[in-house]
Amino acid sequence: MFSPLPMKQISIKVLNEDLPGASVILAGLNNFSPDNRPYAENALTEIPGQHFREQYNQAKSRLDKISALVSYTPTPFDGEVTTITEAELEQANQWLGEAWETCSDFEERQRRLTEESRNISQLETSLANFSNLDVDLGQLQQDQPFLESSIGVVSSNRVEQLKDAIGLDGYLLFPFLQSEKESHVLIIGAKRTEHSKLKSVLDTAGFRPLDIPPELHTEPETAKSRLAERHAAVDENSQQLNLEIVAWRANALQGLEQAAQTLHLAVPYVALGEAARKSGKLARLQGWVPAEDMAQVEEALQQKLPNAFVLESRDPLPEERAIVPSVMRHSRLFKPFSSLVMQYGVPRYGEVNPTHLFALTYILMFGMMFGDVGHGAVILGAALIWRRKLGSFTPFGVAAGISSMVFGLLYGSIFGFEHLFHAWWIAPLSDPLYMLTVALLWGIGFIVISSLLNIINHLVQGDRLGALFGDNGLLSLLLYSGMLGSGYSLYAEGSVGGFWATLAILTLIGIFAHKLIEQEASIGERILVAFIETFETITGYASNTLSFLRVAAFSLNHVALAIAVFTLAGMMGDTGHWITVVLGNVFILVLEGLIVAIQVLRLEFYEGFSRFYAGDGKAFKPLTLS
Amino acid sequence: MNSQRDQAYLKTRVGIYASRLLSAEDIRILKQMSLHQLGERFDLLPIFEQEIEIRQKSGLVEHQLLQQLMNELKVLLRPLSGRSRGLILYWPRKYELYNLKTLIQGKWNNLGIQEIRHNLYALPENIRLPHEALLQAENVQEMLRQLERGPYSQIASQARTIYEEQHENFSLGAAIDRLYYTGMLAQANITDCSDKRGLKKAIGCMVDRQNILWLMRYRLVYQFAPSEVYYLLIPYGGQIQRDKLMELANVEGLDTIIEQLPDPFHSLLAGSANITDARQRLDFWVSDELRKLMLGSRDGVVAALCYLISRDTDIWRLYAIIQGKLLGMTNELLDEAVSGIKGSSSSEEAA
Repeated sequence: MFSPLPMKQISIKVLNEDLPGASVILAGLNNFSPDNRPYAENALTEIPGQHFREQYNQAKSRLDKISALVSYTPTPFDGEVTTITEAELEQANQWLGEAWETCSDFEERQRRLTEESRNISQLETSLANFSNLDVDLGQLQQDQPFLESSIGVVSSNRVEQLKDAIGLDGYLLFPFLQSEKESHVLIIGAKRTEHSKLKSVLDTAGFRPLDIPPELHTEPETAKSRLAERHAAVDENSQQLNLEIVAWRANALQGLEQAAQTLHLAVPYVALGEAARKSGKLARLQGWVPAEDMAQVEEALQQKLPNAFVLESRDPLPEERAIVPSVMRHSRLFKPFSSLVMQYGVPRYGEVNPTHLFALTYILMFGMMFGDVGHGAVILGAALIWRRKLGSFTPFGVAAGISSMVFGLLYGSIFGFEHLFHAWWIAPLSDPLYMLTVALLWGIGFIVISSLLNIINHLVQGDRLGALFGDNGLLSLLLYSGMLGSGYSLYAEGSVGGFWATLAILTLIGIFAHKLIEQEASIGERILVAFIETFETITGYASNTLSFLRVAAFSLNHVALAIAVFTLAGMMGDTGHWITVVLGNVFILVLEGLIVAIQVLRLEFYEGFSRFYAGDGKAFKPLTLS
Repeated sequence: MNSQRDQAYLKTRVGIYASRLLSAEDIRILKQMSLHQLGERFDLLPIFEQEIEIRQKSGLVEHQLLQQLMNELKVLLRPLSGRSRGLILYWPRKYELYNLKTLIQGKWNNLGIQEIRHNLYALPENIRLPHEALLQAENVQEMLRQLERGPYSQIASQARTIYEEQHENFSLGAAIDRLYYTGMLAQANITDCSDKRGLKKAIGCMVDRQNILWLMRYRLVYQFAPSEVYYLLIPYGGQIQRDKLMELANVEGLDTIIEQLPDPFHSLLAGSANITDARQRLDFWVSDELRKLMLGSRDGVVAALCYLISRDTDIWRLYAIIQGKLLGMTNELLDEAVSGIKGSSSSEEAA
């Protein structure tokens, strides 16, 4: 419950021919994660299924491309689970290859039509630009005895350089319509008797000539209507193409479904990757299974594998901890909190799973910062009403609402009304200093627990040095105690207590010395890094502790906002009063509620998790058929 | 990156890394070393001892050396944020562009997926093209269609023109290189680095080197017209600007080009026998200039950029030596191989 499930490393020896079947059986169980490390035994050198994987990758890529082009979504798999042979996969790949050939042709035609449409649009823009001049565009493109000219489009950021470049050959360039990306340019120069150098420069510059067809070599108005006709023709061709695609889709649908199902069933064997090895007729696959599921795995293999097999299992070795996947199974109530924890990272195998601690402290802090019976009830009600939309996050809303209601009772607040009933504990604004002290003590407790969890995590991983000297290790915790003790002595007695000061200084020296030794660099860099990191340890503890003052600050802020709402309401008439109160409460609920939710998450992640939770574990990714 | 602490960290890191840079004497010594000695010094022995083909060994060495460079890049990126980070992250994009060119040419020449994949650089996630999707494209047109939907649409449409009209593909390489350098200049213009002059000088050195070599190659080897040569150059060099480039684009013959170059290039390249010789001299000049800038700049970002470029050059020199040794080349041939490094130069040279 407080750490990922115990795991077993399993090895299954089967006949080569049974390997795909074994992968499908394991995928059906949803609890086998392949272990892709190189094998220790030299006897099993070959990786089976390489050709199968290549075929799969190609086929999958083809199916994805086709799906995107023809808007096809495979229907969820609900057929009989069978093993896919290499021949079946090859057949599906070949069919998809032929299908993609047709689709690729559709795509290319689509591209050409888009390109043509764009060219026509550019011609229309050019025409619009020239319409004021009322010149015959054809004149610019006709073969002139002494003049060479071109109209076209180039990338805007290259216009100046192109102008300079063709200037070297005596040509002039006039940009006449510029946008951020592209510019329409007119190029004119004296006609050369020798071979023109202009074309090769323009080709290099990616110049796209606006090839004005002969029928448009006419007055702008006539040209405009002809362009519109061309546009209409392109649109018609596009529609025709779309109809062809739709017709093709209808014909190919059955084939696509079949190919999709084949690929779906091929996934487990593909996903085995290098976790399987073979030599001769024997193959072996290795992976990780939760210890509690071992019996289920053995039973399934015995029932469904046609030939004999050997299943071996063992506990993970200490040096394997970093690569053992972490499995966490939570009850429905903790699912949303687990999802939030996963946003930070996956716990390492053996590391404390902070989900329960996170759930408890998150809900407590949220309630403390947003304590109001009415607002809590609204959150609770909203979570219950929209439970379908919220899905697995419903318990999160329910818990936050209840916590807010409980603290509302403790604070004596309902929809911002502070005098409707007496506070069971304290009205925050009646003694802000007390509230800040409570928040500070809460923060100290939170940081101490986080540091202790960090020490436990290091010890579980067998890292005694880390537990003692590492960041937030025992020495850091003692340093923190020394700092707190010194601070309290100074506050209560007016002088820094000798014991606490000595403790702080000694631990500081210990941390600095360790950081100095652990660096692998020149002495100058070691001192620099050790100094910076030790300094960061001190400032980190101080600033993190003070961060928790926001727990009290928000509880005060909540009341202050309510006062502001009621002050505004007091300035309105009878109707205005209640409208302001309602709108003010909505404002508090939405805006402040959101801010508090984010602030608590920040405190959890930054002040808490960063102290003890590496979160760099390996997520459990089982073979699956879904 | 404004904090003094980050500056101190970055400069200290660059200072430590700078001791790894190779001097001309180091290169001379490395050329004399046996493959075993090189393997011991650069942790490559496990690769040399594997019983695989020379081509595979060479590929693994290249991968490992590049990995070293990327690891150092990661360390230097640590204290950086915002635009400074963007600038330093832009620099290794040249490898992404090499890959782009390899992908286009691979599909162009109907090479198999494995063959093309083998020639791609393994790059960190954030500067990597969607290789797998591009590799799975069944032909050039399909790959170009995919590229046209992304940030390389301009390159893709140029490649399409070349493909459909069967032109020489030099302009594609030039377009890719130009895209890289102009992007680098754009990054330098917006960065919050405190030593912009130093930064522009560093980039200017690379652009000048590139422009001179392109100028020579296009004029002397491809015999392009002045207008075409000028168009292919980058008019924002360090010491050779637009007007001078226009003037140079009209010049003919290697000696005349060198004569017309401003100093220091005029004296640096005086007496160069050919373009390879000129390139070697320019490479050493760029290395020297960047190392001076690395030590002299008050800004850690400039120092880091100069270090990375210099280290890159060194790594490819080292790779050339190792490759030469793997192929059993003589020392004379090795000299040429070392001069033909690709790390500091354009993708055109890399492919």
